[in-house]
Amino acid sequence: MAEESGQSSGRPDPGTKPVHMGRRTVLGILGLAGIGIAVGAKVDNALGSVSSAVSNAIGVPLPGDDQFRFYTVTGSYPVIPADTYELTVEGMVREPLRLRLADLLSMKRTTLVHRFQCVTGWYVPNVHWQGVLLSDVLEHAGVAPEATALRFFSADGEYTESLTLAQAQRPDILVADKMLGANVTADHGGPVRLYVAPMYGYKSIKWLNRIEVTNQVVNGYWEDNGYPANAWIGGSSSVSVVP
Amino acid sequence: MSSDTELARFDLVERLVHWSTAIMMLTLIVTGAILYLPSLALRVGHRGLVENIHVITGLSLLGPLVLGVAGPWRKRLIKDLRRFDRWGASDFDWFRGPARRSGLPRDKFNGGQKIEAAFLGAVMVAALVTGVIMRFAPSSWITWATGATLVHDALFFAIVAAVIAHVAFALSRPDQLVSMFNGRIPRSWAKLHAGAWLSEVEVSKGEVSEADLAGPPGGSSP
Repeated sequence: MAEESGQSSGRPDPGTKPVHMGRRTVLGILGLAGIGIAVGAKVDNALGSVSSAVSNAIGVPLPGDDQFRFYTVTGSYPVIPADTYELTVEGMVREPLRLRLADLLSMKRTTLVHRFQCVTGWYVPNVHWQGVLLSDVLEHAGVAPEATALRFFSADGEYTESLTLAQAQRPDILVADKMLGANVTADHGGPVRLYVAPMYGYKSIKWLNRIEVTNQVVNGYWEDNGYPANAWIGGSSSVSVVP
Repeated sequence: MSSDTELARFDLVERLVHWSTAIMMLTLIVTGAILYLPSLALRVGHRGLVENIHVITGLSLLGPLVLGVAGPWRKRLIKDLRRFDRWGASDFDWFRGPARRSGLPRDKFNGGQKIEAAFLGAVMVAALVTGVIMRFAPSSWITWATGATLVHDALFFAIVAAVIAHVAFALSRPDQLVSMFNGRIPRSWAKLHAGAWLSEVEVSKGEVSEADLAGPPGGSSP
């Protein structure tokens, strides 16, 4: 302040001009953050394996690692034994289904290798997914001609999701029972979860136990929290992940 | 001046800004840790709720500071913010460590406190900007969101480290810790640690008084 400079006795170092170190520190950090936002995705790519290795070693997630973050929307998540698991497909269908894990394993199997991309920005590249195409499951049930949408329910009792029937026909949406080269674990939403490759992670509902075929899109849990129902990664549906 | 009196170090506005910001930072660190660390995320769950608390608190984080500088009660706060910015030789000297300092009379805050204040202020803004991108950016901005996440995650570690250091320094310096509660600090402390500030206070006759504690003193110009 001007009046301070008038008090020679009150200045920490009479005779020298103060240096604006506070301002420099703030601008420096904000500049770094700006660079981080701009080139972070590339850095994240480059950091992936190193960051993951260190993260694995110390048991703490690190910026830029290729690790899953774990989301649960209820207090505790369901742990469902594989031998009692059942997926119900009902609603506007010719033949309601109750599929056990063995049924899914005996159906036509599909494998996808693709990233899991969270809407907030983190992702895990080259995740190995295996299961039955959602469109194959629907074909078994026989969808009524007037149906237009799907509702998905989770065994946790809270988490719900939605897709249009047209979206569900895509060849990159799996009812997945394997990921990362093993059975889907309970913390990842096993024994069976959805994997919607072209959309953000929240569409890939965990602990999937019921699919209802209906004629209107009903917002799911994350849509009710302000996220879009048409959650195309990058905002476009044109990117197909199927080779 | 007698040696037992106390000086007004922080006025009510500064203390309110400090403690409301501190409570929000703590809330952000706890909710942030639950969102970020898988072991906590799986134990606590309720992601929608935790996320909303984190986002709403984050959006409010700069509120107290903005309110603090928005009205006629801002004088002392602004003056102290300027101190954080302006560094003299004694501030750089502080970093030489207790044994090697030259004993230049110091400002109200030492170099370490000034860098901490600037650092925390900057990371608060950076976390706010990256957090807004993570939560509210349109889905076509995903590349930026990935960058923002990288920065936000890195800031988590930086902020936790800075807050731990801040609390550890505060707990080991009771005079200064108490002054953030009651606003006052012994003159003997100032004589030893903030000689330049003490001279400044004496020149402006800013010794402690009831008026001083109730609000910011008048301008310090003679």
